[in-house]
Amino acid sequence: MVDQRSAPGVALRDDEVRRIRERLGREPSIVELHAFDAQWSEHCSYKSSRHHLKRLPTQGPDVVLGPGEDSGIVHLGEHGGRRYGVVVAHESHNHPSQVVPFEGAATGIGGIVRDVLCMGAEVIAVADPLRFGRVEHPESHQRYVARSAVDGIAAYGNAIGVPNLAGDAYFDEGFDDNCLVNVVALGIVAEDEIVHSFAPENAAGWDLLLVGKATDPSGFGGASFSSLSLDAADEQANKGAVQVPDPFLKNVLMRATYRVFAALRERGIVPGFKDLGAGGIMGCSAELAASGGYGADINLDEVNVAVEGMAPEVIAVGETQERLLWALPPDVTPAVVRIYNEEFTLPQVAFNARATIVGRITEEKKYVLRHRGRIVMDVDVDFLTGAIRDELPYQPAEGFAPAEAARPRADLGAEALPLLERVLAHRDVCSREPLYRRYDAVVRGATVIPRGYADAGVLAPVRGSRLGVALAVAGNPRCGRLDPRRAAELAVATAACRVAAVGARPAGLTDCLNFGNPRNPAQYGEFVAAVDGLARAAGELGLAFVSGNVSLYNESESGKAIPASAIVACIGTIGDVARTITPGFKRPGAPIFLLGNRAPERGGSAIAELLGIDDAVPAPSYAALRAELALLRRASEEGIVAACTAIAGGGALVAVAKTAFAAHRAGRRLGVTLDQPCGFHEAPGFVLEVADEARFAALARECGAEARRAGAVAEMPCIAAGGERREVDELMDCWSRPLEEIYP
Amino acid sequence: MSARIAVVLFPGTNSEDETLRLLRDCGGDAELVHWSRPAELRDFDAYVLPGGFAYEDRIRAGAIAAHDPAMDEVIAGAQRGKLVLGICNGAQILLEAGLVPGTAPARRPTAAFTHNGPIPHFVCRHVYVKLAIDPSRCAITRALSPAAIIPAWTANGEGRLAATPEHLDEIAGGGHLAFVYAHADGRVDARANPNESARGCAGLVNREGNVLALMPHPERDAWNFNHLDRPAGADPLTPSGGAELFRSFVAAVRA
Repeated sequence: MVDQRSAPGVALRDDEVRRIRERLGREPSIVELHAFDAQWSEHCSYKSSRHHLKRLPTQGPDVVLGPGEDSGIVHLGEHGGRRYGVVVAHESHNHPSQVVPFEGAATGIGGIVRDVLCMGAEVIAVADPLRFGRVEHPESHQRYVARSAVDGIAAYGNAIGVPNLAGDAYFDEGFDDNCLVNVVALGIVAEDEIVHSFAPENAAGWDLLLVGKATDPSGFGGASFSSLSLDAADEQANKGAVQVPDPFLKNVLMRATYRVFAALRERGIVPGFKDLGAGGIMGCSAELAASGGYGADINLDEVNVAVEGMAPEVIAVGETQERLLWALPPDVTPAVVRIYNEEFTLPQVAFNARATIVGRITEEKKYVLRHRGRIVMDVDVDFLTGAIRDELPYQPAEGFAPAEAARPRADLGAEALPLLERVLAHRDVCSREPLYRRYDAVVRGATVIPRGYADAGVLAPVRGSRLGVALAVAGNPRCGRLDPRRAAELAVATAACRVAAVGARPAGLTDCLNFGNPRNPAQYGEFVAAVDGLARAAGELGLAFVSGNVSLYNESESGKAIPASAIVACIGTIGDVARTITPGFKRPGAPIFLLGNRAPERGGSAIAELLGIDDAVPAPSYAALRAELALLRRASEEGIVAACTAIAGGGALVAVAKTAFAAHRAGRRLGVTLDQPCGFHEAPGFVLEVADEARFAALARECGAEARRAGAVAEMPCIAAGGERREVDELMDCWSRPLEEIYP
Repeated sequence: MSARIAVVLFPGTNSEDETLRLLRDCGGDAELVHWSRPAELRDFDAYVLPGGFAYEDRIRAGAIAAHDPAMDEVIAGAQRGKLVLGICNGAQILLEAGLVPGTAPARRPTAAFTHNGPIPHFVCRHVYVKLAIDPSRCAITRALSPAAIIPAWTANGEGRLAATPEHLDEIAGGGHLAFVYAHADGRVDARANPNESARGCAGLVNREGNVLALMPHPERDAWNFNHLDRPAGADPLTPSGGAELFRSFVAAVRA
């Protein structure tokens, strides 16, 4: 629901237009209306979320740069006397992907990559947490979305040469009308070479250099489009608001930009550099200038355009892809232009693509746009870009709690194994390989653990260094539907456990909060509860959020919101990639441990859905989790963890099975004999193969962690428990196949 | 005197970083040369065409790049006996340039690496390749053991060798089939072949043995840290696995 619109294609509310009119002392021009529409959209301004997001922890010893610029930065380690940071950005491209999934998802990757690039970083990885609707029917729009979005992500990421390191996919009716395409990108940067998204000191008079694709009418109104609910009647109009991807141009643009970074460093120049996203040239230049304490003066006639005769508001706020904006000292600009236009031949790579000076940074804090000799926009830049706030009412969200009688909770013993095949084949538990094999997992040659081989992907991102970075994502929508707060807590805990399971130290978080309509108090209450959950879990685990994104208005025409979806990515750091825990069981006879004082609730789990159990979502036990993470870290540093899998979707028995599958994939046909109950509860924990049992038990005591010996690795390629036995090959078949129908 | 290797960059190339690093880590004197400066290529002794999507794979993968001025230099160098290694998109370009199998004049392709089977989409998968020729048949493979199993990643949408049945016989009979897909233990069967490539072909060599086109990427499984089954205690930064082919190439360039 949106209040009466103020002009065609403008989503500003009447009170907002009144405020603009009063401040300007005149009627705003059409260009100004569109500019404020973009800047004050939820997408750009976070007007109804910012004051809640303040509760998230954003500082800590690992934080090099917290939220506020285009990306955050986590400290990775030192090499050759220099400090390196991992640049992290996380965004959604949900609305565009629901309307035109291939282009919507592809431009999601395109945009997130620019957010990382503009920090002075080399882009090293992407990840894609995905939520799709029911895909069972071959002709359904839901299946079309699920397939085309993946194809779009593949087409873009593969072409630019960035490996897909992590991601997940859930299929749930709650996403039938609103898919979620979240995207994460990582970069690597020497901490003394970070480039900022603001014009630096003494930048008055500097050039504003626009680089990339020729501006065209695509993506006009994108910021406010993504801040509205999808309305089927507007579908055709909405399609025009989706940008057109050009990964081929981006490939060249990225490489040219790396060359420019090197050239500027050689000359000791500290530039300002920012990605063009929501709000186009206007949004980018206004923020680049205002956040440095300046104004800007832009001549729209200087913009390289794809078609003549575009209206000034389209040139100013249209969201054409593959563009970036530099603030540069005028004596340096020609050398940068030469790199883009001559060495990397941008004008030959795509029609009228180039680097071109479009304006300058001004001392006076005004934002001025000129078009055909006329001033079409002239406003106070801080008024345009400053924080606006919508404190909307909300209804506190309560988590689901069943009647006491409805709680059959003991973990399963002998009766577990007969259920294992069904759980492994569950659409949210089964192998994602049919999906991710379309993504290049290994381009750049820096991959230590490719996506899908373990709980987290791992890279060695610094040339000639043993430093490693791990990445994993989490966020179970079935938990979100039942209890937004605990679902958010579990997302943080699970993402952290996943990077710990490859031997990395969880070092930083990023989130994308996908929720319904903030003007619906119940839906807004879910968002507020989820922020509480994220803040609690991150605080308890001593982790900070370095970047993030909010996507609201994910509701269908009928007013039904998606399941509460706080999606979290965790960045882990590894001092020496030789210490990475490689996937799969290693040695027959080695003991298997279960780690975790795990809550008995089963709400949101795969088994609860299969057996029709109504239950509460488990609450993480933070004291236990901290002890387990400490134990895992010490044990992996001593090299006595031979294999490790975090317990999540499908529970402990599925974690055991997946560790056996990983061994089979590596050519070790091993099995498992379990002598302790091991079932399908999904509360966080770990399954481990341990190389030195006595030492591990001693470390567990020192760390105060509950480690339970659950069995041993077996020579025979079977999983045996309670007198029952299943062939690993057959189980692996159940697990591998289900998604092949969707992704053949 | 050190022999110089050019890693040729086209618009759309994406694997230049790992290719250059591995050549250098294997002792090669290698540098990137840009499509905007084709004349510089003349001074190099050998060429590597890395993977990617040169010119966006327009028409067919490699078809436009094969006509880039940079390829004038590579074709001329190959005809004078300089060593040329093309990987993935680089292999597609060599086929489109007619340098492999090289049974027809330059730029008259006789076969193609085309859309994967059975379903024509991009596939990223770990594979192994083994020699289908004697190592000495190709200068670039000369230092490999005849039984070498090279780990690599296939990562392409168009990697399936296709040609007329008569030409496939000519390719196999003429000793052009350099590498075939295999399992880790060296067995060769249809399951080892990731894309229904004709004759299980992973790589082709020309008649003279100085031009090698290889579809999968050995340079992405080429340092100890890349291997999932690396031995404990191994230096993660030491080149191994896929690096064997690059070592052999560098040795041949220096010979």
